[in-house]
Amino acid sequence: MSAHVSEITMDQFDAEVLGANTPVVLDFYSTECPPCEALAPKFDAVADQFAGQVKFVKVHRQASRELAVRLNVTGSPTLVFFKGGKELGERLAGDIQRSAIKRAVEALVS
Amino acid sequence: MKTNAYDVIVVGAGPAGLTAAIYTSRARLKTLVLDEGMPGGQVKTTHKVSNYPGFPEDIKGTDLAMNFALQAERFGTRIARAIEITSFDLTSPLKRFELDEEEVVTAPAVILSTGAKPRPLGIPGEDNLRGKGLSYCATCDGAYFDGKDIHVIGGGNSAVEEALFLTQFANSVTILHQFDEFQAEPTTAHEALTHPKIKVLWSTEPRAFLGEGQIEAVRVQNLKSGQTEDLKTDGVFIFIGMKPRTDLLDGLVELAPGGYVPTDESMATTIPGVFAAGDIRVKRYRQITTAVADGTIAALAAQKFVKDSGMRVAVA
Repeated sequence: MSAHVSEITMDQFDAEVLGANTPVVLDFYSTECPPCEALAPKFDAVADQFAGQVKFVKVHRQASRELAVRLNVTGSPTLVFFKGGKELGERLAGDIQRSAIKRAVEALVS
Repeated sequence: MKTNAYDVIVVGAGPAGLTAAIYTSRARLKTLVLDEGMPGGQVKTTHKVSNYPGFPEDIKGTDLAMNFALQAERFGTRIARAIEITSFDLTSPLKRFELDEEEVVTAPAVILSTGAKPRPLGIPGEDNLRGKGLSYCATCDGAYFDGKDIHVIGGGNSAVEEALFLTQFANSVTILHQFDEFQAEPTTAHEALTHPKIKVLWSTEPRAFLGEGQIEAVRVQNLKSGQTEDLKTDGVFIFIGMKPRTDLLDGLVELAPGGYVPTDESMATTIPGVFAAGDIRVKRYRQITTAVADGTIAALAAQKFVKDSGMRVAVA
């Protein structure tokens, strides 16, 4: 995992995501999940590219059931974008291209 | 944009591609392996592998995958992880890929070992609702449906096995199957048919997925009566087989039924210098061992092709 990606537990969500000073990309992932495995290095690469401007955070679905329910996330991987404590833009799910993450993050910082 | 020249570019770092790279890099060909994720292909998410020779005890799929990659790298292969091919040319004598819009790589020979992914149904609502209650992977998403009423589409081994797996989470699992009986092997089929949480709708095909932002219903048609009906659902899992990843060959090669790539005995496609290996190919059996065999053959054939082409780059 990139040094620019951190993993949180669901009780850190309010402080780390909603309360963040920068926009945040939140990745819901699961174990034994091929599309999650495929996403991980792309997520790292985009996180490195936007280091300091955007926070990249992962949350493990199996350990964060209530958060998934609260955000109505029903698939892994799902990327959810936040700015100023609010969800913004379209979520990305399934086979996610690196360029799609990059575009979404660019929209987030613009 | 910087350009890097190779002798062989392998697309897809599963068992076929990494075996090909072991062979070509050992033959002192400058070899690059491209993968959109981490190396290993489908093996890296296989719990345990029990039928790969050389391992008297089970080996974890992820460990086997890592070993393939380490072995290729030991002989000088470069594995480019998490890349996206942003443009390419496979038909010129010197093949060319642009990676992430920031690097160009070229080689006279290309081995395509991009494997297969779960096959979509191709019906309305499917693209929009993917990840919003519509899934192709029970281990990925099953736990999201704790106590829910869900549907499974398909009737082969994977559909029935995954339906059984999903009963540990879901309140009920309704299988929609186009035929009058399962194609799954009898023991698995029997287990599903007698499972208290599983119900089956035979001769039934999905026509559309409905829902705003989240799946709400699946529109089905009974093939005997012709009647359509919208079934309320909390989630749908689709297991109707695999689809080879042949995007790079769109319009370049005539694909066989099922979308597989025809090759000759040396794994050559109809494009000179382009070889195919592993699950992407037309063949009877798709196993790690057969992928590895394809990779070996493709590498040896590519090696000869590069030598004959006179386009070999000098290894520093």
